[in-house]
Amino acid sequence: MNKILECRNLTKIYGKVVAVNNVSIGIGKGETKVIFGPSGSGKSTLLRCLGLLEKPSSGSIYFNGLDVYATRQDLNKLRARIGFVFQDPSLFRHLTALGNIMLGLKHVIGLSESEAWRKAYEALRLVKMEDWANYYPAQLSGGQQQRVGIARAIAMDPEVVLFDEPTAALDVELKWEVIAVMKDLADRGTTMLVATHELRFAKEVADEMIFMDQGQIIEIGSPEHFFTSPNTERAKKFMAKILG
Amino acid sequence: MLFLLDFSTFLISGFLITVEVTLLGVGIGLILGILAALGDIYGGRIIRTIVNLYVEFFRGSPLIVQLFLFYFTIPMLTGLSMDVMMTAILTLSLNSGAYQKGYLKGAMEAVFKDQLMAAISLGLPMWKIFLYVVVPQALRIVIPAWSNELASMGKSTTALIVIGVREFLNTGISITSQTFRPLETFAFITIIYFIWIYSMLKALDMLYDKIKIPGLEPVI
Repeated sequence: MNKILECRNLTKIYGKVVAVNNVSIGIGKGETKVIFGPSGSGKSTLLRCLGLLEKPSSGSIYFNGLDVYATRQDLNKLRARIGFVFQDPSLFRHLTALGNIMLGLKHVIGLSESEAWRKAYEALRLVKMEDWANYYPAQLSGGQQQRVGIARAIAMDPEVVLFDEPTAALDVELKWEVIAVMKDLADRGTTMLVATHELRFAKEVADEMIFMDQGQIIEIGSPEHFFTSPNTERAKKFMAKILG
Repeated sequence: MLFLLDFSTFLISGFLITVEVTLLGVGIGLILGILAALGDIYGGRIIRTIVNLYVEFFRGSPLIVQLFLFYFTIPMLTGLSMDVMMTAILTLSLNSGAYQKGYLKGAMEAVFKDQLMAAISLGLPMWKIFLYVVVPQALRIVIPAWSNELASMGKSTTALIVIGVREFLNTGISITSQTFRPLETFAFITIIYFIWIYSMLKALDMLYDKIKIPGLEPVI
């Protein structure tokens, strides 16, 4: 199957710390994959490299089969086609929910004010935030902010959306509204690569789960595989810890 | 005070010059301040060093000395001469830019790194990120500090007397030397300065109220 986004032998080193060590993964159209593992296992760094927000120390990243760095692609053009949802919603504080979404539509894609408005509003409806369109980030709860963050990413019609622990900074009650939105997106066939500890989400929607520890991929398998009989001791232990 | 009516054209032209150099000084200073702050935050070592030399020089020397430098020293060294208004505006702008850089840098750094990352992830080029994300937030955060700068610049323009600019205080001195009535003349001058600076500050307060955004309050 052709991969939309793929990395081969990706390594990222900060000073002396090897954050990601020789990782190769890929994601095809319509797939939902979940990356999980302990904090500091390199999930975020891997996603940031795949989102072209950080340059790998070595290895390659392919977008629709094209080696991004070897063929010197215009990174901004590719970034516009890769959605990214951050752990901290990172909304622009001087813009309303609607304004946050319109910024990229107007100034990256080049839509007119009214087209951008329509598209942004549609994205807000998708995350059930249309009633909050004219509110500023500071007036929204963490979960609502994160839903706007998701709407901002999907409004650009990206080919793949990367989620970097989107619920990790939220209270338990607020997590579910965000997870519900993500499930909905997965059901609509959005191509998603999600770093998360929410294994119930993974169980319901993931086509594949990727277990990482200390910068390396330890094990890859279906949710069923991980929930019943993971091969490695480390994965077994981690599953037990998370599921209590 | 009625005798001052005889000098009304003279006083008005002096006052307008004071307003003009204040607004130009702060306005051009704002542009210089934004550039210097950007250079200091995102520039390489050479740019940062130049920015810091500029800022430290203008903050670390008296305005009157700077005026003499641009009016006498630099023309003598370079052979280039500027008219007195140009010299005044240039010096005030450079001086104000050095102070404004400090306020703006703090305000820009308050536009947190996570927002920059989010803007990059959308595919926005750097210059659009500054224009649509950093600057609109930084300007709102900086307004209170900025109104201090405007008040201070309005008062600093009186220093221009040393190079002979015909600003408001200078007209007062000329009138006094003709009429020998300093009491009324300077009382009048003082009141006008006060009313003018006070109304500028009020206007900025109103502007701030108009454009302020919840959650984007000044950190200063």
